[in-house]
This record gives sequence, structure tokens and C-alpha cells, in this order.
Amino acid sequence: MNDAPQLGFQTVHRAALLLLSVLLLAFVLELVRRGRFKERYALLWLAAAGASLAIGLFPVLIEKLALVMRVQYLTVVYGVSFLFLLGIVLGFSVVISRLSERCRELAQEIALLAHRVHRMESQDRDEE
Amino acid sequence: MKPRVLIIIPAYNEAATIAAVIAELHRSVPDYHILVVDDGSDDETSSVVELLEDVKLVTLPHNLGIGGAMQTGYKYALRNGYDVAVQCDADGQHPPDQIHALVERLERGDADTVIGSRYVADTQYVPSMPRRVGKSILSRLIDALVGGGITDTTSGFRAVNRKVISLFARYYPDDYPEPETLIILHKAGLRAVEVPVRMQPRQGGVTSIRPGKAAYYMVKVALAIFVDTFRKFTRAPGDL
Repeated sequence: MNDAPQLGFQTVHRAALLLLSVLLLAFVLELVRRGRFKERYALLWLAAAGASLAIGLFPVLIEKLALVMRVQYLTVVYGVSFLFLLGIVLGFSVVISRLSERCRELAQEIALLAHRVHRMESQDRDEE
Repeated sequence: MKPRVLIIIPAYNEAATIAAVIAELHRSVPDYHILVVDDGSDDETSSVVELLEDVKLVTLPHNLGIGGAMQTGYKYALRNGYDVAVQCDADGQHPPDQIHALVERLERGDADTVIGSRYVADTQYVPSMPRRVGKSILSRLIDALVGGGITDTTSGFRAVNRKVISLFARYYPDDYPEPETLIILHKAGLRAVEVPVRMQPRQGGVTSIRPGKAAYYMVKVALAIFVDTFRKFTRAPGDL
């Protein structure tokens, strides 16, 4: 392993990561500004952008982790990203399930109320 | 005292047959109230029903699937104080002249749900091969969990008492609900029994279960049943 040293982040990687993080950060902030995000999701993505910014600024974080886990730094990057996305997607599945449940209840409520309104209106008409 | 009975008919694109089914119901069980739940049909189902006498109509703003539509009916029954709710298909498969038998069986008081079964002796129902296989696997699964007694786990021809009405108003599976409701009943400590009925061939419309989907439903229902065995089902507070 000595002849081809496994370098940590090279400058070009760091630059790319920093650029991406800044772009992500700006994009998320812009979405929040326009009111397109609920704050709780905004926080999630801000945290993600913050994390990748931190890694770009202090690559030693991830190199240490790679060393401890005895894998290449890229594996750590992939692993961390994968877990993060997995968590987000799982969270979304929960949110979507809850939304569809609420959507069903609302539809039923509306239908039952519409029926009552209809009945009351026809009663009124009969009384006139 | 005679029980107040509501017949719930979930209808999705049943404009062609619904009027005949309702007319038949009026003839067979004139004392029972009829509620049609239009599950966001694309056709004229609602306008056809609106023109009929002595029918209540609840129209869902969008399609919820059979489970969501049925549950709407149970919520209606709960809020309007019905003692018994009968589930009946809009396509004419469920013979109206047998509804009375279901309700009478329920009135004996030793069961909370009465299921019109196609398998109990004295019926001539023979389902197609893949259906038979899927249903028999499901039935065995349910049999193992519930402790037997029910042979036709997919029959949607049912009469339930007020305890079940309030339970189903809270918990009702989304699609292909019949097998899973047996588990929910069992978990809630309510009893289901079967009586034999002779079903009729459907008068129109298409079955909601296409063959390709059958396997998917099987797995889905099996999963739902599995999950249900770890859940708690309690009836709404203040209801019996």
C-alpha cells in the first residue's frame, strides 16, 4: 500500500465539495425564503449542507473516521450519505402514510357533512 | 323493538346496475334504510342515485377505495344511531332476499358480525383456480389466527351490530378489507359467525380484483394481518 498512497481529500475534491455545499445551502435558504419548505424539512437539509461544508473545510474529520474503520475515505462518504438518504426516505414514507390517512379522514368528513347540509337545505325548502 | 338497520352500498362506477339493486332492496327489505356511498365515481352513479326515492347518498370527493368508502358508511351509521349495518355490493352479487336472514341471525345476540358465506353447505359457488388458491391460503392464515369458524373470509356480504359499527368507524383497512376485518374483530373481542347464502353472478361492472393484482393483494393482506396481530383495537369511548 506504500507505493500508491491512499490520499485523503485532494484539493480538487475539497473544492468540489465546498462548492456543492455552498450551492446546496444557498438553494435551501432560497426555498425557505420563498416559503416552499416547511421549516422542519429545511432544518434537515440545512444540517446536511452544514455537514458536507464541515467535511469540506475539515477533511480530517472523515479521514479519522476512515482510519478508525479501516476503510477508504470514499467509503465513509458513501456510507454516511447512504444512511442519511435512507433516513430521509424512511421519514418521508411515514409522513406520506400519515398524510394519506388524514386525507382519507378529511374526504369522509366532507362527504358526510355535505350530506347533512344537503338534507338540511331540503328540509328548509319543505318548510317554506 | 325492531332494530334500525342501514344497508351500506359502496359504489364505484356502478351507474349501470345501482338502480336495479336498490329497487330490489326496497322490495325485499322495505323497512331498512339504504345508504349509497359513491366512491368518487367517474360515471353517473351519483346522479342516478339522486333521482331515486328513499335512498341516502354520500358522495366522496375523490376515490378512496372500497375500504375508505365502507368506513364512510360505518361512520354514517354510528352518527345516525343505527343498530345494525349491512354491507351490500352495488353490482347485484349479494342477494337482497337474504339480507333478512343475516339480520335475524344477528338478532339472536350471540354474534356481533354475521357473514353471508358462499362456502357453507347449500351454495353452488365455485371460484376460479387462482382465486381459490389465494383464498384458501388466506383462509388458513386467518383460521390459524382467529381460531376457525369462518370459511368465506373474503365475503363482503355482512351484517354487524353497533359494537362493530363503532369499531369499524375507527379502524377499517384500505383495500381488499374483508379478510383483515376478521382479525380486527377478533382482536377487539367480537364474534363473527357465518350463514350460507347463494350469491348471484354480477349484473355489470367489473370485479375490483384483477388477476395480476391478486398476488399483490395476497401479500399485502397477509402483511396487514401479521401487523394487526401486534396492534390494539379499541372502540370509540362512550360507545357501548
